Amino acid sequence: MNHRLDGADAPYWQGLETGRLQLPRCASCRRWLWPAGHRCSTCGSIGMVWEERPLRATVYSWTRTWHRFALTEALDLPYVSIVAEIEDCGIRLMGRMDDASPDDPAIGEAVVGRIDRTRVGDDAIPTIIWSRAA
Amino acid sequence: MTHPLYGTTAVAGVGLRQFKRGASPLPERSLLVEAILDACLEAGLNPAEVDGFVSYGDDKNEPVRLMGDLGTRRLAWSASVFGGGGGGIAGAFGLAASAIISGQAKAVIVFRALAEGASGRMSAAVMAHHLNDHLLAAGLVSPAQMCAIRAQRLFKHYGVPQSIVEDLVRASYHHARNNPDAVGFGQDFDIAALRTSRWIAEPFRLFDCSRENDGAGALLLVSAEHAQDLAKPPVYLLGCAQGTEAGWGDLLENDADDLYATGGFRPVARDLYRQTGLSPADIDCVQLYENFDAQGVMSLIDHGFCTYENAAEVIRFDNLIAQGGKLPVNTAGGNLAQGFIHGIGLPIEAVRQLRGESANPVSGVRTCLLAGGPGAPTVSSAIFANKVL
Repeated sequence: MNHRLDGADAPYWQGLETGRLQLPRCASCRRWLWPAGHRCSTCGSIGMVWEERPLRATVYSWTRTWHRFALTEALDLPYVSIVAEIEDCGIRLMGRMDDASPDDPAIGEAVVGRIDRTRVGDDAIPTIIWSRAA
Repeated sequence: MTHPLYGTTAVAGVGLRQFKRGASPLPERSLLVEAILDACLEAGLNPAEVDGFVSYGDDKNEPVRLMGDLGTRRLAWSASVFGGGGGGIAGAFGLAASAIISGQAKAVIVFRALAEGASGRMSAAVMAHHLNDHLLAAGLVSPAQMCAIRAQRLFKHYGVPQSIVEDLVRASYHHARNNPDAVGFGQDFDIAALRTSRWIAEPFRLFDCSRENDGAGALLLVSAEHAQDLAKPPVYLLGCAQGTEAGWGDLLENDADDLYATGGFRPVARDLYRQTGLSPADIDCVQLYENFDAQGVMSLIDHGFCTYENAAEVIRFDNLIAQGGKLPVNTAGGNLAQGFIHGIGLPIEAVRQLRGESANPVSGVRTCLLAGGPGAPTVSSAIFANKVL
């Protein structure tokens, strides 16, 4: 389909395409590993298994972008990007946040995600959009 | 045992050409040639005798293409430190020194050249090194945003007061005001200009960010013995460390929790101090790469000058200026106010400061720390001195 299927993280992108968050862990020691790789840095085993995780996370950090950087033309300014720490696995993912509320995101705040897309040129990249957990 | 890098090589000449971004009167490579000629002229060394070249940050000027203009007779060593950002700048000196002390080259130019027409925007070039669909999907496409996300954690999680970055910025402009070669020469900088400048990516406003210049810088490194026979007083390299350690790197923001709000220098600073036998108390001034002011604060913390808890006691305007401060930082104005040619102005000021040629001389200065670009996946630092301690 595209270049997203060429890398070690292909199952992540495939998962988002089918509406699921899939993340890798070491097949041997079960440690969560991200970025996706080939060999576990802790136990040295080769081989990852991919497991589905719920789209629940906490805000690890965030920024609100006001400047029109190239490649962000499809996003309305300002927009909020966050680093989200996925529940119960510690993996952090970059995503965007619905910013309907005037309040700043808070580090540690609970968020829930949905899968949408981000248009960059001719591409539409699957993206997790986070919003405050009710 | 003394480390092999300790005091065995020295900078014998420097050259710097700087213009407004997009306003270089010369092509990029010609600027670089001029800077190298200046460095050799200072040293009293025939440029044809330069036999080694080292750069960093994906510089596009492959040294073999300089041979004609310089009259190079033998190109014996050319290398570049990996990494797209300014993280490798100090490491370039370690690489050059390695060539000299291992007998592979005798006179090595460390350089960086950047003109928008030839190399495009530096920020775009740095990001091209890292960009992937994870970043693009999040709308994170620039060094400013990546550093902003780390800065939020510094301020909001560790509680470092955001006001201290203003002291760092003010000190930079204070020094630039006296420096005829600086972008900020003769200008009174009003901190309100920072506070009211437009948002780029929170917590950064425009004046929290370094703004690029066109230009080129070159430093001539030779053996310590050779430097003693050249025209300028030698400025010795006492040590250099580069790289990273487990838990930091190009990790899609999955750096170890205790490293996330750092500049990435902890292992580098540790090795540098161990290698040289020096400690932060031995450092008389700092040339600090600040791509963004908050990252400059992180770098000072990483290098042991202060902690998250007492940063506000150390990073104070009065303490950061050459005129009486205990920790003079960026005495030519730094990337923020001297000018930004991917940081090459910083080692040049280190050399000038240690020769007593700075526009803001530090009284009794013996040592100067050069800290490379913070926040890069691999970083580097070096210590220079005007005598081997």
